[in-house]
Amino acid sequence: MPRLEPGTGKTKWYKTDGAVAVYSALISILIGMAVGAIIVVVVGLLKSNITPAGIWEGVRLVFLGVFSTGRNGSALSFGFNAVNLGNMLFRAVPLIMTGLSVAVAFKTGLFNIGAAGQYLMGTMGTLTVGLWLGWAGVPTFVAWLCAFLAGVILGGLWGAIPGLFKAFLNINEVITCIMTNWIAANLVTWWFDAHEAFKNSAEGGKVGYIIPLKNVGVVTPKMLMNVIFPGSQANGGFWIAVIIAIAMWVMMTKTTFGYELRACGSNRHAAKYAGINDKKNIILSMAIAGCLAAAGASLYYLSGNTEFYWSTYQKLPAEGFNGIPVALLAANHPIGVIFSGIFMSMLNISGLQLKYLTAYNEYISDIIIAVIVYLSAFSMLFKTVLSKKIRKGTGGNVNDEPAPAENKGAAGAAVSQAAATAEAVSGPAESSLEEAIDKIGESPDIVSAETEEGGEK
Amino acid sequence: MSEYVIEMNHIRKEFPGIVANDDITLQLKKGEIHALLGENGAGKSTLMSVLFGLYQPEAGEIKKDGKVVKIDNPNDATALGIGMVHQHFKLIDVFTVLDNIILGAETTGALGFLKKKEAREKVIALSEKYGLKVDVDAKVEDITVGRQQRVEILKMLYRDNDILIFDEPTAVLTPQEIDELMEIMRGFAKEGKSILFITHKLNEIMAVSDRVTVLRKGKYVGTVNTKDTNKQELSNMMVGRPVQLEIHKKPAEPKETVLKVEGLTVPSKIHKNNAVNNVSFEVHAGEILCIAGIDGNGQTELIYGITGLEKASAGKITLLGHDISNASIRKRAMTGMSHIPEDRHKHGLVLGYTLEQNLVLQKYREPRFQNHGFIKFDEVRKYSEKLIKDFDVRSGQGPITIARSMSGGNQQKAIIARELDRDEPLLVAVQPTRGLDVGAIEHIHAQIVNERDKGHAVLLVSLELDEVLGLSDRILVIYEGEIVGEVDPKQTTPEELGLYMSGAKRQGKEAE
Repeated sequence: MPRLEPGTGKTKWYKTDGAVAVYSALISILIGMAVGAIIVVVVGLLKSNITPAGIWEGVRLVFLGVFSTGRNGSALSFGFNAVNLGNMLFRAVPLIMTGLSVAVAFKTGLFNIGAAGQYLMGTMGTLTVGLWLGWAGVPTFVAWLCAFLAGVILGGLWGAIPGLFKAFLNINEVITCIMTNWIAANLVTWWFDAHEAFKNSAEGGKVGYIIPLKNVGVVTPKMLMNVIFPGSQANGGFWIAVIIAIAMWVMMTKTTFGYELRACGSNRHAAKYAGINDKKNIILSMAIAGCLAAAGASLYYLSGNTEFYWSTYQKLPAEGFNGIPVALLAANHPIGVIFSGIFMSMLNISGLQLKYLTAYNEYISDIIIAVIVYLSAFSMLFKTVLSKKIRKGTGGNVNDEPAPAENKGAAGAAVSQAAATAEAVSGPAESSLEEAIDKIGESPDIVSAETEEGGEK
Repeated sequence: MSEYVIEMNHIRKEFPGIVANDDITLQLKKGEIHALLGENGAGKSTLMSVLFGLYQPEAGEIKKDGKVVKIDNPNDATALGIGMVHQHFKLIDVFTVLDNIILGAETTGALGFLKKKEAREKVIALSEKYGLKVDVDAKVEDITVGRQQRVEILKMLYRDNDILIFDEPTAVLTPQEIDELMEIMRGFAKEGKSILFITHKLNEIMAVSDRVTVLRKGKYVGTVNTKDTNKQELSNMMVGRPVQLEIHKKPAEPKETVLKVEGLTVPSKIHKNNAVNNVSFEVHAGEILCIAGIDGNGQTELIYGITGLEKASAGKITLLGHDISNASIRKRAMTGMSHIPEDRHKHGLVLGYTLEQNLVLQKYREPRFQNHGFIKFDEVRKYSEKLIKDFDVRSGQGPITIARSMSGGNQQKAIIARELDRDEPLLVAVQPTRGLDVGAIEHIHAQIVNERDKGHAVLLVSLELDEVLGLSDRILVIYEGEIVGEVDPKQTTPEELGLYMSGAKRQGKEAE
């Protein structure tokens, strides 16, 4: 049987698995945005207060919202918008971190849908320690570091709980993650409810928010972000997120620790056979996932301006669940997560531009995200189809005796992961879709529940 | 009417990088048992997948009763009366036998309700007619592998197939079940059904087939009448060179005790009794000790207990003088034990990893392959290329081939390469040649004998009587979790071994 000699099977960079993953993600994104544009058109046609010109503006903002520079006279103008781009990076930070959390867990065979709870625990740890140390007058850098670590460690411990259940009692981590999410939501609510000192009553008209960390000066340095994107909320948190993502990539692919983690994820029995402590690795992997998600919260609230609405027992933070599409779009690749996180946050910015500049509201971007989540299931399909097309006639990965059943099994698993994801996210995604339809065309005065856009006030 | 029910003429099937079937012709007569013989990777399964509609050939034609047909998918194949028992069964574990049989061919009444009663009667009638005894209401997960295979056969019969493809049907069966299957196959042939029988076991071909078609490396070698040939000739055709069927080895020179097992008891996961009950034995340096027995008599659990994959409830295990009864798996391995596991997909390989990643599965922590926790990729590559060369592990892309895409035989070779290269004083080998072809078996047997001659102790578990008798220096027979006899392979006979294995004979009992 003719067989390729090692080395001759090399494929060009644009035909590699990685490239194919990027293409399929791009296809999902394009379809998602196209669907978003179609919804803009349909809604525009249904609402009497939106003119054809308004529809065209809406469509352009869906695609180019981040480059919008407001209105020049009556027409929309586009160009470099430092505030938008900076805010995009700022808002990308928690998404990148929760995306990393989901991606790293998935690489080790675990489905972490507990990022929301871990995120909340990180919020609680960071805000509490940040405010305490700030009031105590601890030097800013020390206070910052302690606040950050407090959040990360608390999130890590929280993430370890489903890991413990999985390792010792073989309880599916999805179930325990969902439970710990709501336990976290109630725990955080109780903690801030019980401690009046944290509540922000100094600023008039505000109820239910925790004092922002800028009031005590515990704030992430800008690290040149204010030079590149003057006027935006972007800060050094973005660089930290990027560094963490790269570190995760190195850890997963270059170290024996990552090798062990992935071996456990891929085949727990074989890992055990090779003497790897599978229980320890499952717990560690969930703990790392928890640390990452919590770090997202820490960096978000350490920016200073962001305010936390503490009565969160009825609502889990969207960042937790949005980590799943971020990870899926990036095919669970830590570096890819940086870009998919930025992309998701770009959609947010586009949504805000729609809200400020047109009669539409920002929930259109939630619809686009929802569509992309569903399409990420297809992105696996696109990937399979594309790699077949691309691979035809070039260096093969099929072997002496192909194993069709097993290959199908793998594809099936991928699709079911995506399907499970879609299911898990469908709750929040659908509700925001309904909300969006309700609110489209209303006066654009909806205040974001959690944040206040400092740069755009 | 053509002489042949199925003709596959000049079939060519390519996969990226390889030609799996190159101009292959296979003609199946009505009422014959036609064996398809070839090494792993010779293209047997691919050819059958083409016939069953799973793959489309690049060239060639398929004729049914002399007429050209096009088989685009398994449904077309079923419509033509072609049925297939896959090597890995396609059954739904939590369904009953009956549900599995009718799945996809359900008869329904008005409003789409299942007519299970009719189906049930038909299945029972079929199973009585062909002696395929099986409880139709049992869940598939609760019945033995041999019974599961019967379910697969009944599935074909239920669909009134008259061309039956068996893809390595004996790989998972005990010797008794194999005999029963042979009998069933003969019955089908007598009925006028035509059987295609994929295998690389020469004994079975000689026992049951009428004609044999031999493939080698994707090419057609020839078709011969079974009665005009012999095992040696067939294996030469299959491998392309004269093959040593007998295992040649010097007499063993047992030295000091390497592994000592005392009163080992391992609880069963299936039933309440112990899977391994109070087992004691010793393995010496320079000998091959074989645990023989019918599958499911505690061999698996015994090895789990020794290697640490499962906790023993009682007993003491001593390896090279160290008590490892409660040691971790890694500790045991590092004390001096390498292990070729029974289930290569479950324990042997991380299927999602590349070949090279799998080859360092036991060694990645050694300073040679890592520096402060960072893997030295070029060392891993060098090492794996050496093992691939030394053990002739074939794969599409060499070290970077994903293990999942490799053929079963080459997966096994990779595991054996990895474990033998560790050069530990004790080698635990569980069915090391399972699913391998003659050429590879010859090579692995030589390697195991070589291990012994180096002065290592070998603990072998095998279900193949030929292997048990040919390879081992001492045989312990295990029956229902207990060692029932120790025999000398040079003095015993397969019949005597069979009596011990079936529990009919027992040493020590008579003496008491």
